[in-house]
Order: sequence, then C-alpha cells, then structure tokens
Amino acid sequence: MSKPEFSRDILKIQDMETLVDQLTTRIREDITIRHKRYGAVIGLSGGIDSSVCMALTAKAIGPDKMLGVMMPEKDSSPDSEELARELAGKFGVKVIKEVITGALDGFGCYTRRDQAVKEVVQEYDPATHKMKIGIKHEGKGSKLPPLFHLTVVNPDGSEIVKRLPSLQMRTIIAASNFKQRSRMSLVYYHAEQLHYAVIGTPNKHEVDQGFFVKFGDGGGDLFPIGRLYKTQVYQIAEYLGVSQEIIDRTPTTDTYSAEQTQEEFFYEFPHDVMDLLWYAYENGYDPAEVGQVMGMTADEIERNYRNFERRSETTEYLRTPPINDYIFI
Amino acid sequence: MDTVKNELFAYVKENTFKETDTLQSDTKIFVEGIFDSMGFALLLDFLETKFQIQAEDSDLVEENFESIDAIAEFIQKKNPALV
Repeated sequence: MSKPEFSRDILKIQDMETLVDQLTTRIREDITIRHKRYGAVIGLSGGIDSSVCMALTAKAIGPDKMLGVMMPEKDSSPDSEELARELAGKFGVKVIKEVITGALDGFGCYTRRDQAVKEVVQEYDPATHKMKIGIKHEGKGSKLPPLFHLTVVNPDGSEIVKRLPSLQMRTIIAASNFKQRSRMSLVYYHAEQLHYAVIGTPNKHEVDQGFFVKFGDGGGDLFPIGRLYKTQVYQIAEYLGVSQEIIDRTPTTDTYSAEQTQEEFFYEFPHDVMDLLWYAYENGYDPAEVGQVMGMTADEIERNYRNFERRSETTEYLRTPPINDYIFI
Repeated sequence: MDTVKNELFAYVKENTFKETDTLQSDTKIFVEGIFDSMGFALLLDFLETKFQIQAEDSDLVEENFESIDAIAEFIQKKNPALV
C-alpha cells in the first residue's frame, strides 16, 4: 500500500469512537487479564498526558476501581494540584495527595542539585533565585549535538545563562530525577496496597525520544498512550471532555523552580510541529515533500531526521529493560 | 600540532563507544556518531582542562569541533603557546 500524501492533517484521528473503544478494551484486559489486578493507580500531574490516561482508564474499568495520586513537592506549580483535583472530581476518581518534599530532602535531592548549580553560578541562592536547565543547539543547521545550559533567574527577573560542564549537568539531572523516581515508588506503594496496576503516562514522543526517567515516570504496568502522538492525545482529551484549562496549558516539565516548557527543555519545537516531523521521519517521507508542507527547506528537514535518529540511538539505554540472557550453563 | 593531535586521538579512542579502527584526523566525529551529546560535553571539559582553553558559546560551531583536525586548529587559535 502506498503512503498517503503528507499533509498537516495526517495525524487527525478519523474514527475517534472506535479508537477509544479499542484503547479502553485493551486497558481493561491488560489490568484484569494480563496483570490480574483489581484496579489501577495513576500519578496525576494536572498535565494533558496523565489526564487523558486517567479519563481512558476510568472509562475502561470504572472510576470506583481507580486511585489518583497527586505528588507535589516544593518546586511544583500550585496550579498542577488544583487542575488534577478538579479533573479527578469530574471523572469521579478518588484522589489523594502525598507531598514528597520530605522524601526528596531525605535523598538530598535539593542539596545535591543546588550545590552543583552554585559550582556554575556562584551567586545562586535557592531561597531567592530560581533555576532550570535546558538543551541548546549550537547554531541552525549545525551537526554538533546539543549541550545543556543552566539558567538562574535572579530575584529581579533577569537571567544568567551558562553552559553546564558535564559533571554539574549529570549531578543536576541525577538529583532532579529523584522526583520522578520518588513519585513512582509512592504510586507502587498504593498499587501494591490495593492490588492495583500502575498506569504509566508517557506518550509516543516521550517513549521514542527518551524524554522520561528510567524507573521514574518511565515506569508503570501499561502505557495506554505510549503509541499516540501528542496531537492525538489532545484530540482524545477533547473527545473525553478533559477540561479546557488542561488542554490549553503549555506542557511543562514541572521539575525545576523556574518555569520551563517541555519545548525549551527537550523538544525544540511546538508539539504539533514535532509530531508531524517525527511522523514524516518514521514513515520515510521525502524531506522535500515534508519541507513544502511545513514551510521548511529539505535541508532543515533532513537535519531534523538526523537529530531524531541520534536521539533514538542515544536514548536506547532508557528503553532497554535489564538484560537477562546470561545463560551460560 | 602533532602532539595535540596525538593527545586528541588518544582521548577519542579511549572515550568513544564506537569502533575506531578507521578513525582519521579528518573523520567527522559527530556525523559518524563517535560522540553524542554527553560525549561532546565531556570532550569540552577535557579540552578546557588539558589545554587550558575556554570555549565560549560563540566557539561552539561545527568548524571548530567536527574532526580532530578542526579541534587541533581550534586549540591552536585559543592557546598558540601550546602548539
């Protein structure tokens, strides 16, 4: 079968009712038949992905067999909790709140991170300054891989931006990843206590491009939206009646004290553009054809294809489960 | 210059996860996947420490880092006393 012509509408879900029916049937089967669990626990962030996963699962098994867990910490946006609580209420899902700041303090998450930040920007004081990190490509069309930069926001709102030396970069990332891993630990606590399965919330980009923390938000027993593009997740959100406020919210990492979009941290494109470029790359569309639709040159498209290829390769470690074929006797 | 290139060859061979049998001084180290993002960050740390240079953001362009030849030239520009 030949490929359909590339267009901006290529990821539009044609038969939403059937798709949602297939997704919910599969969720129900995976929880009850495959995993043999009575229900499902989900970590709720107030973002689009966990909201859609919750809505789908509630439809699949009934909200009375679900538990939503909100797990804010001191750097979390206060909006996240309010939005998550509101949505859970709308779908009839019981929610509880577990503040993880104490657990993170115990791990030394903040002190390890802040020490590394201070080594790069000496005037950084976590009591008065905010911080975030993000990747930056060195010049359009460059074949150099991106490097992480640290942004410290001064009390007056001005910013200090510095390239991160590798040790401080690794320390900040490793310390921050305590957040996702602590959340996953807590979700599994509730899942085991209730004999429920854990719904993982990564979408297709997060899985394929490695934008998740191994054994953190990359954990779970099933990934209902793991094969869906972000624009498709939004289409499902509209269909299922996820609140407009969540749909309109810019996806953020909600990990660092300074506000940061997922686009600036990782993706480098708005999600609708990223979706189309990734689809084109995965399905082998000619860069010239894609460029015409996207208003970009064939060279730019080609460069992005190479960038995607590199991302897939460098993040393979994250998707690889523990290797267990040490069969020598 | 040759000493710097030899140091660079040794560093690349020691720190890449790719096969380096065919590595040449003009091999495009990022295009060929010899170093990824982490490899690039570590390489910059190495260059700054070993050759006492400071790579500014404006220096981080392909022509300065695409190959061992390019990096050696960049080091020479930054620290002429070394080469």
